[in-house]
Amino acid sequence: MKLIALQLYNFRQFYGKTPIIKFAGGKQNTTVIYGNNGSGKTTLLNAFTWVLYEKFTAAFAAPELLINKRAIAEADCDRAVEFWVEIQFEHDYKRYQLKRKGYATKNKENYLQSNQTKLFILIAADDGRWYPPVEPAEDIIERILPVSLHQYFFFDGERIDHFFRADRNNNIAEDTKELLGVKVLDRAIDHLKKAKKSLQEELEAIGDSTTKKLLQQQIQLESERDRLNVRQQEIIQTIKGLESKKKVITHHLLELSGAEKLQKLKEKLVAQEQLTRQSLIQAKLNLKQLVSNQGYRAFLLATKNKFFQLLKQLRTERQLSSGIKREFLEKLLENETCICGEKLEPDTQAYHQVHSWLNKSETTDLEESVIRLETQVNQFELQLTEFWQQIDRLQNQINHQYTEIAKIENELDKVNKQLRNYPDRDIQKYQENLEFIEEKIKELTLEQGVNQQQLSSDHKIIEELNQQIERHKLKENKQALAKKRIVATQEAIQRLSEVRLRLEKQFRVSLEQKIQEIFKFISFTPYIPKLNLDYQLTLEDNTLDQPTMIAASTGENQILSLSFIGAIIDRVREWSQRNTLMGIDSSTFPIVMDSPFGSLDEVYRRQVAKSLPQLANQLVILVTKTQWRGEVEAEITDYISKEYVLIYNSSKPNCEEDWLKLNRINYPLVKLSSNQFEYTEIVEIERKAQNH
Amino acid sequence: MNVKSALNKIQEPITTADPQIQLIIKRVLQLEKDRLDLKAPRNINEDILKIIKEVIQ
Repeated sequence: MKLIALQLYNFRQFYGKTPIIKFAGGKQNTTVIYGNNGSGKTTLLNAFTWVLYEKFTAAFAAPELLINKRAIAEADCDRAVEFWVEIQFEHDYKRYQLKRKGYATKNKENYLQSNQTKLFILIAADDGRWYPPVEPAEDIIERILPVSLHQYFFFDGERIDHFFRADRNNNIAEDTKELLGVKVLDRAIDHLKKAKKSLQEELEAIGDSTTKKLLQQQIQLESERDRLNVRQQEIIQTIKGLESKKKVITHHLLELSGAEKLQKLKEKLVAQEQLTRQSLIQAKLNLKQLVSNQGYRAFLLATKNKFFQLLKQLRTERQLSSGIKREFLEKLLENETCICGEKLEPDTQAYHQVHSWLNKSETTDLEESVIRLETQVNQFELQLTEFWQQIDRLQNQINHQYTEIAKIENELDKVNKQLRNYPDRDIQKYQENLEFIEEKIKELTLEQGVNQQQLSSDHKIIEELNQQIERHKLKENKQALAKKRIVATQEAIQRLSEVRLRLEKQFRVSLEQKIQEIFKFISFTPYIPKLNLDYQLTLEDNTLDQPTMIAASTGENQILSLSFIGAIIDRVREWSQRNTLMGIDSSTFPIVMDSPFGSLDEVYRRQVAKSLPQLANQLVILVTKTQWRGEVEAEITDYISKEYVLIYNSSKPNCEEDWLKLNRINYPLVKLSSNQFEYTEIVEIERKAQNH
Repeated sequence: MNVKSALNKIQEPITTADPQIQLIIKRVLQLEKDRLDLKAPRNINEDILKIIKEVIQ
């Protein structure tokens, strides 16, 4: 944050609008504002803290009375009077204009009432025009210079010796850590832990997905399927072999004289059996077809009765026919003669009467349709009888074929028996062989059927398993991803925790180093400042064998605090230049300091004055004439590029006027007010102009 | 140890992480920084979860 300008309106001692106070920057970074006690130095310091944070420093008396006394005295009763402070600053190459407004109203009893203040912010765009930002002003300021840290940058020099007293409520360690970005780290760690928990819950929700078991099952089933397939092929081959063997034996049997007749009979029977079996299959097929095509007829009787009842009812109610056909009426009208002989010429009454019947008559189509439907429905019964007759015929056929097959089989058995017992040993042997082969083929065919059933059921299970495995694989992928994310989150947490640990330790060590450096420069004592884990500063005497703690004097405490502030600014600047991830985006810090030399003696004043302009990027000091003594002026003058004097206009008739002599020119510090009110004027000192 | 290397060392756990972890850390820190002014940032847990899921795929 680089301060650009400040302006006040009806704020405490300052009546109306003050001139714009512009602040020094760059190499000559110091602005000095001179003023006597009571002239408004503390008010100016508090104008900064009020406009930015609506806060006040400890020495600021009666903060509830911010409105200028004259402004409120001149105002009408119950009329709100405005007061405000406006500040302009630059941050990260952007210009900000911040204005806090308050209103005060007095009632008839001169009782003052203040309303809530309002904060307005504008940001300069690249085109130079001012725009209100979308975000609330407080949020923007909080990011630039957090409220908890403002005491490092806007403070009362006479009171900084209290900074490190144990009884102080504010926690310097916490504030400093916030400046470094520890809060960002803490929040990141905390929220990452929560994210990790959510990821773990997600992993649980995905559930157990051991696909191994399923895969094993699949492998087993597949190998069983393969085995069965091989076996089926074997069976086919074996049956083929057996069939050809059978053919050969049958051939041999035919060739052998004596059995020839029997064998031929057997062949004939076998052929007959095959034929009958085929007829049986066909008959069964016909029966099935008949039932599926016409079976419904058996259930139509009730519907048929219902249909005739409905028809009867419609006829009784004459809903089906009016008795007069449309075509008949049309013919009469066309011939222009009624059946009674009366002429039906158009537009006559008789014509209209006959014509009106047209609407009541129905077309022959409907009547015809009804008659057709009636005939068809009447045929149902006949068809049903035919259906049952056909069924009986087919069943008889089937029964007959069964009997026929049984008869053939019986005869075959007989022939086989004869062949088995045939006197010729060879024929007997062939027959036995043949029967053995037939038995074997039967056995194998059975096995083939069983295997086929097994194969088709296995196929279904394998299909299901495949689907399951696919689903589980998907789950497994999700699981793996969830696990990967958990591991990554855990690593991020660990690394951030490590950064936090290092930040706390290293930063404190490097801060202590810088404090010691600054303290050594200012102080003539051999003591060394120590910064403990809670950021409490103590002084140690290292000249003795055993380092001992020193009870610091008020002056030493002031120097300690200044060293601390200077070190903080230096180290945070260093840190923020090196790190854009955590800390605040700032490497420029101002110091606005009221009464910077407090109760220091001459040596310390000189050293403090020497080091002050180097502590911060920008320095605004508010001093009294006595604080601005020779050694201070001598040390700081080279850094000054802006100077203002606060002229206190006293309403006290015999007030003692006072002057400030700068560059051999006298500037009034206290003078008599031209009215009954006391107020302060701000006047810029133009040194360069004086030099010319 | 000088100041610069001491301060650099602080960030070492981030700078030496795998690119994916680094990306998560950087995006989470940026998000936290953007919402630092809010006491209880809304939906921040969901947003962080989203970052992790986007980075680790």
